[in-house]
This record gives sequence, structure tokens and C-alpha cells, in this order.
Amino acid sequence: MGVAATMERRDVLELDKLSKSFGSLLALDSLDLVVPVGSLTVILGPAGAGKTTSLRLIAGLETPTSGSIRIAGRDVTDLPTNKRDVAMIFDNLALYPNKTGFENIANPLRVAGVRDPDLSERVNRMAGLLQIGHILDREPRTMSGGERQRVAFGRAFVREPALFLLDEPLSSLDAMLRLELRAELKRLQRERGYSLVMATPDFTEALALADEVIFLCEGRVHQGAPPQVLYDKPADIRTARFVGTPEINICPADYEPGEGGRIRCAGAVLAAPPMFLKEFEDKATRFQAGIRPEDIIVRGPEAGNVVGKVIDLEPHGLKSTVVVEVGDRVLRVSLGANASVAPKMDDAVSVEIASERLHAFDYETGIRMF
Amino acid sequence: MPARPLGVPLALVLATALVLTLFPIFWIVMTAIKPPTDWNAVPAIWVPAEPTLVNFKTLFDAEAIREYGVGGVSQSATAAVGGSILASVVATALSVLIGLLAAIGLSRYGNAGRATPLVILSARMFPPAAIAVPFVIIFSAINLIDTYVGLIAIYVAITLPFSTWMLKSFVDDVPREIEEAEMIDGRSRLMAHLTVTIPLIRGGLFSTTLFIFILNWSEFLFALVLSYSSINTIPVQLAKYVTAMAGTLYGVQAALAVVAMVPLVVFGFLIQKHLARGMTFGAIKR
Repeated sequence: MGVAATMERRDVLELDKLSKSFGSLLALDSLDLVVPVGSLTVILGPAGAGKTTSLRLIAGLETPTSGSIRIAGRDVTDLPTNKRDVAMIFDNLALYPNKTGFENIANPLRVAGVRDPDLSERVNRMAGLLQIGHILDREPRTMSGGERQRVAFGRAFVREPALFLLDEPLSSLDAMLRLELRAELKRLQRERGYSLVMATPDFTEALALADEVIFLCEGRVHQGAPPQVLYDKPADIRTARFVGTPEINICPADYEPGEGGRIRCAGAVLAAPPMFLKEFEDKATRFQAGIRPEDIIVRGPEAGNVVGKVIDLEPHGLKSTVVVEVGDRVLRVSLGANASVAPKMDDAVSVEIASERLHAFDYETGIRMF
Repeated sequence: MPARPLGVPLALVLATALVLTLFPIFWIVMTAIKPPTDWNAVPAIWVPAEPTLVNFKTLFDAEAIREYGVGGVSQSATAAVGGSILASVVATALSVLIGLLAAIGLSRYGNAGRATPLVILSARMFPPAAIAVPFVIIFSAINLIDTYVGLIAIYVAITLPFSTWMLKSFVDDVPREIEEAEMIDGRSRLMAHLTVTIPLIRGGLFSTTLFIFILNWSEFLFALVLSYSSINTIPVQLAKYVTAMAGTLYGVQAALAVVAMVPLVVFGFLIQKHLARGMTFGAIKR
């Protein structure tokens, strides 16, 4: 019992087969999730994936259709929001428009019965941390977007609940501010050991912040893993496509046994890496190959036997994306700063696929094979 | 928005509208201070040469009214003013209070049936005259004829659709995340409505209250058919100033109309600054 109790207290949040339907729409399908104390979990997914629904269920703003929610070892499934000991930052912030910055941040403390001087001290300390001391006597309508965002942060972080829920807290900020607040969020979380669950559609944000990423799509979890694993070993084509830019190339490929094994893919014939030999042995197999754009090398047309034509170029500063048409396939290729060629539109180029970095997905289901 | 000088065409349109709106009020006020000889004068006397308060005296003095001869009216207007205040204040308070609860319910928890708000409004789809007679029959059966309870009940019933709809539109304008933030901050759902929703629709509450009060204050038909001798209201009293000997007592009517206007004008001025909308600006990012 003693050991079990200790184990239990280490997880701040446990979701067990949590589902939510709105009418005939299944918004969340049997979500299982465990969040350890002091960790940052990101729920990643496109719009309409069920991210916000998940957070609202955890906060008690929606009632689950089935499943259970435990926060800090306590079953809160049937408890109202104010009894759950969570803080939440809404994706539209939801500041109190008729209250000053100070009163916005002070609100949870006031509700909890904290009085001056303790109250002022805590609000001012939080405002100092977020560098918004100068706007505390202003109402939200006179604040800039970044200031409002910080006030919303302050309102959430001024108390110390068991769990913080953040619904796209950095969306609709301009890029610089976003990076700045992202770093601040990470620092707050690290320094204070906060437990956070954050929803975002942005993989780079997840990569920068998360200990664990849950990839949600159409209400279903496709993969839950540390962010690098999500990128290196995506569980299916859906995940592979969502994670990483430019988007991964997916094309049908054939494994042919004999002569050490070969893979035919996008007009190229590649020596099969050992993993394929081990997995497919002597069975000819059709599968979907996933090739990351950075796993393709572009050279001059004379350097290889798979030759294509450049049909699009997209510079991104140091890197650029080149779109090459090979036969009836189109491949996106990432060019680093030290690429050996600088192709122009309509140039003929040869492409070389790093076969040992090939991802293999089941031809029918799109699920990762190994 | 910075003030900008009006263009000539717009100024003309506004001036015309202003004259059309204010002329009846001007006429009523002037008639109220005319001596009886000037009421029906031809050609019309716009501004009386000798303004008098005799009409106001006649209103509240039962002896004075008898000088015009026995006609439709024999009581002073005091009871009518008192009755109007009682019925309008109580009915408005109840209508706005119940309407507020209904509005929050429909706006926030209204998934019981999408048609509910329309059904509420359907009571207003009949001309009042069509439902007046059934009401009289029902009310006489339950002994509510000629009582303020009955009059208030019917006022609440006929204004509730308006207060519900108006307040619902104000509650709809408050992002529900603000209430949810208050719940996250530790308040119960009910308390969140009290501490967040209601303060944020304050302007809407004031304007709805004024609107409903005007409806009740000026209501004539139901007050007429439900009153015999125990209850009276200003609009009913107004219609009674017709006598056999002196015809319609225009000056006295006008005086009562002026009295009736006073509370509305005062109330309107008091709440003017609360009528501005856009209370929720800055709460959410768009």
C-alpha cells in the first residue's frame, strides 16, 4: 500500500478512457493519459482534433460521456470546476474586461480568501516576474496583445494549483513575442516544478517545450511519446505528415528480396537497409515509404541516375525547400546552408535518398511497420 | 470616434426628425399650461399668453374636477398615479428579474430545445385585443379582476418575452469563457453568473428595465378591461377626461400626460451613461 500510494502521488493527472460526444459527433475517443508531477505534456493536433475538448473535460467545463479523470490522485470526474484545483489559460484569454490588470491577477486569490498585504505582495511579485508591473492599473482594453497574454499568465500562475491547463496560450502573438513568452513559460515551469498540460497545433512549439507529446487527430490519439520520438519514429502516416516541416514525402514502394534486398521507390532503386531485410526477409512487400525532406540529397544531373526537374523553390533564410518532379512523383527536399548545388527553377537535378532513414508504413492502414 | 462636423444634408435630416419627434411633446406641455379658454381656440394658440397651473390643480383636486360637470371622471388623478407607480414598478422588477434568469438559462444552458426562445415570443404574436377577452374571463374566474395582483400578473406575462429576448442578446454577447475563467478561479457556476455575467450586462439590464417600464407605464388596454373601481392607472385615467358639459378636457389630459412623462425622463437621464455597449471589449483576443 505504501509503495502504491507513493507511486500514485507522482502522477498529477490520470485520464482513463475519457470520451466526449456532442450529439452524433465523437469529439474525443477514449483518451488515456498520465501526466507525472512537474512535467509538461503537450496535446498536439490540427484544428478540430479535440484538444480544447480534452482540456475543458479536465477542467470540468464539459461533462465526459464516459471515462474518468483523476487529479492529484483524487477522482474528480463528478466534481465541479472550482473543486478541481486546476488553473487554465483560455485560447481567447477571457480576461475580466471591467477589472484592472491587478484585479485580474488578484481574482483567484480574492476568491480563495487571501487578504492584503499577502494579496498585493503575491500579485506584485507575479507581475514583476512577467514584467507587467507598469500596466497593473489599466483595464484589458488598453493593453497590447502581449500584455493581455501576460496578464492571463499571471492570473493562472499567481496561485499554485495541482495542474495548469493551457489552451494554445501563444497563438495569435507575433513571432518574436511568441518565442519570448515561450521561453518564459518554460522557465516558470522548470523553476517552480509546475505540472502543465498544453494544447497547440504547432509542432515546433511542442518540440521546444514538451516532455511528452500526445498527437490527437479527429478525437483519437495517434501517438504519445517524447517529441523527438514523434519525429524520428512517427506511429503512422498521419502523425508523420503533421510533425515536421516541410511535410514528409510519402510514396508507394516495393521491397524485392534477393541480391541483398532492394527497394524501388520514386524511380530510385535502393539497397535495402538491414532492418528491411530482417523484417521482410524473402517476401516481396508493397508499403508506403516515408522520406523526410532532409533525408534526400540533391546533386547535379550527372552525379546520379535518378534525375528530375525542379518545379518549385521556397527559400527559408538559411535553408530552402526544393520541389523536384521525378517521373510521376513529386519530392520535397530540404537544402541546408552548405548544400553542394544551388538549383534554379526548371534545372535538371539528380536525387539521392538516404535509404537507412526510410520510414515504412503499412500500405493499407498507414501504420508504422517497424 | 472623434466628433466631426455634420454635412448639410445629414443635418437637415436630423433637424426634421427632431422637429417631428419633439413637436407633440411641445404641444402637450403648452396645452398643459393653457387656461380652459385656450384649449380649443381657433386659430391654435401655440404658446399661451397667460400660462397657468390650473390644469395640474384640477388633476389632483376632486372638488375642482366637479366644476366641469359630471362626466366620465369624478376622482382625482392621485389614485391613478399611485396605481401606475405600483403596477409598473412591481411588474417591471418581476419581469426583468424573471427575464434575467430565463435569459441566462437560454443563453448558457439552452439545449433543451432550440425553439424555446421562439415559443416564448409567440405570446406576443397575437394582437393584445385578441387575448384581452380570454384574460378577463380567466381572471374573473380566479378573482383577479380589479386587483393590482391581477394587473401586475398580466403585465409580467406580456412583457416577459421582451425582457427575456433583450437580456438574452446581452448575455449572448458576454463570452462564456469569462464565466468559465471565474469558475477556474474558484467560484461556483451560480456565483460566476452573479460576479461576472450580471455586472458585465449592467448596461443591458438598465436599458431593458427602462424599456419594460415604458411598456407597463403606458399600457392601456389591459388596465382598462381589468379595472372597475378598485384599481386605476394613468392611461385609463387619461381617457376619462370627457364630460357631458365641457367635452374633452384637453388641458387636464395634457397636464396628466406631462406628469406621466416625468419619471421616464428622470430615469432615462439617470441611466444614460450605462446605456453604452461594448462593455466586453478587450476581454478576449479575436
